[in-house]
Amino acid sequence: MIRIGADVLVVAEHLEGRLAPSTAELVAVGRELAGPSAGIVKAALLGHNVGGLADILVGLGVEVLHVDDVALAEYTGDGYHLGVRALVEQTDPRVVLVAHTSQGYDLAPALAGAMGLALVTNCVGLRAEGDRLVATRRLLNEKVQAEVELSSERPIVATLRPGSVAPAGAAPGGKVTPTQLSIETGTIRTKFLALERPEVADIDLSSSDVIVSAGRGIQKKENLAIVEQFAKAVGGVVGASRPLTDMEWLPKTRQVGQSGKTVRPKLYVACGISGAMQHVAGMKDAGLIIAINTDPSAPIFEVAHVGFVADVLKLLPATLKELKG
Amino acid sequence: MPLNMVVCLKQIPNPDLQFQIGPDGKDIRRDTLNYKVNGADEYALEEAVRLKEKHGGRVVALTLGPKRTEQMLREALAKGADEAVRIAYEDVATYDVGKIARLLAAAIRAMPHDLVLTGVQSDDHFNSATGGLIAGILGLAHASVVTRVEVKDGRLEVASELEGGLQRVSALPLPALLTIQFGANTPRYAPLPAIMKAARQPIKELGPQALGLSGWDGVVLPYSFGVRGLSRPAAKRSAEMISGSVEEQAKRLAQLLREKGFVRR
Repeated sequence: MIRIGADVLVVAEHLEGRLAPSTAELVAVGRELAGPSAGIVKAALLGHNVGGLADILVGLGVEVLHVDDVALAEYTGDGYHLGVRALVEQTDPRVVLVAHTSQGYDLAPALAGAMGLALVTNCVGLRAEGDRLVATRRLLNEKVQAEVELSSERPIVATLRPGSVAPAGAAPGGKVTPTQLSIETGTIRTKFLALERPEVADIDLSSSDVIVSAGRGIQKKENLAIVEQFAKAVGGVVGASRPLTDMEWLPKTRQVGQSGKTVRPKLYVACGISGAMQHVAGMKDAGLIIAINTDPSAPIFEVAHVGFVADVLKLLPATLKELKG
Repeated sequence: MPLNMVVCLKQIPNPDLQFQIGPDGKDIRRDTLNYKVNGADEYALEEAVRLKEKHGGRVVALTLGPKRTEQMLREALAKGADEAVRIAYEDVATYDVGKIARLLAAAIRAMPHDLVLTGVQSDDHFNSATGGLIAGILGLAHASVVTRVEVKDGRLEVASELEGGLQRVSALPLPALLTIQFGANTPRYAPLPAIMKAARQPIKELGPQALGLSGWDGVVLPYSFGVRGLSRPAAKRSAEMISGSVEEQAKRLAQLLREKGFVRR
């Protein structure tokens, strides 16, 4: 017997006392999945001394399964695995929702693998249809979209790409259910040692009003000079997409994106950047986004306000000439 | 301490290309594609070879895919892998990551493995799931998005990248699985003599029987999975596109920057 529309278990993510914005997005999707057959959205909140976060989640109208355990004070793959596993067994949800973040895709696949559960990851949309869970995913640099369907008699684990849906707003009916799990510290093989912060930046990207970012389209490190000249002309600083900082053409502190800086300048010029999800997540809220790329199907043109299909190595010098002339 | 390592490698269509959806709407057209090794997997291989150089041990390069993937395995041999193994699973439309991970896990289970490495994600399907699934299936300790690996007193100390540039440092015992992040190291080029040598090295082929299966459909999955269809993603918001020659585009861009007050004149 395949169960539909039963409860949804959302795994709350938090770091240093702050709830990840993606958690409210999971709640929004959880409501939609649970809604039609009057299921309940429950949130797994694992940690130590994070009662304040439980209150925030209650405000979203969910039942918070609050596990306060010193063994869960910091995220470890094993600790969360054991904790969430126990809650999944206890609540037997239809779907387990996890954010597709560094922490989320550390947890979700290992959990699904160990429990023998179905898994679908990095979804931009999820819906229940009959006895199936239908997931929308993006493939091949966002150029192709796939709809896949899963059904199972047991819970399905799904991860949702951050920023794919609007976060859930306030709702009544939430409550906290303190939950005791007997997690033996000895069963947690991974040990948390430290959080390391990025080195202090030579330039603070997040406080700049104008950012001109370079991507693989500039082809050679020497061509950074063109981007720097252009940035100077528009009173901005130079940022970069991940491949450039990986190649050490620019320091890591200049990287814009999910694993780098999130910026919100008045002007963002993307030069030869394709617009992978990981980059777009860090700049999509800029006031004016101008994109320059030779590939007319590059996903950067989806978030840009103004687009130029052009070779950045030609367009920037020509524009500089125009500005001087 | 010497480490027995297995590195999972995937050959993917070059994601910089344009893609067309095939006639049945359930896979891309594959007749015109060219293939490359998945970017993150190159860092995983390099990490394994560096660990071998430092601590001793052995590196097995493992893949799943059709015959064409042998070229990628030979590159891995030339870059320092000691053995290459191909799971001869020919279906190229590998949309169900759960099935693929179960096949890889079955192969790894039969090999000595102190440490299993994968790339953090593949640039075709973007699941970021294969490594974690294998860890769960095999009961290995694991860490993801790893940018730094050290072996200390018989255990691993690793840094995992989080959002916003933070790194979480943790320790885990062996056997373990790590998913390696882009930029974790600088992958080497294969020297010519090694390429020549790799061309003659045998590649071990595993069929379903070798994995304890009656056939490729014999994988027991606790769920059903299907591809409904592929489509072009709808553009969320299209940019105002400025066409014309470079000179015309430059005029328009300069004008726009002036209008919006980003340049004074």
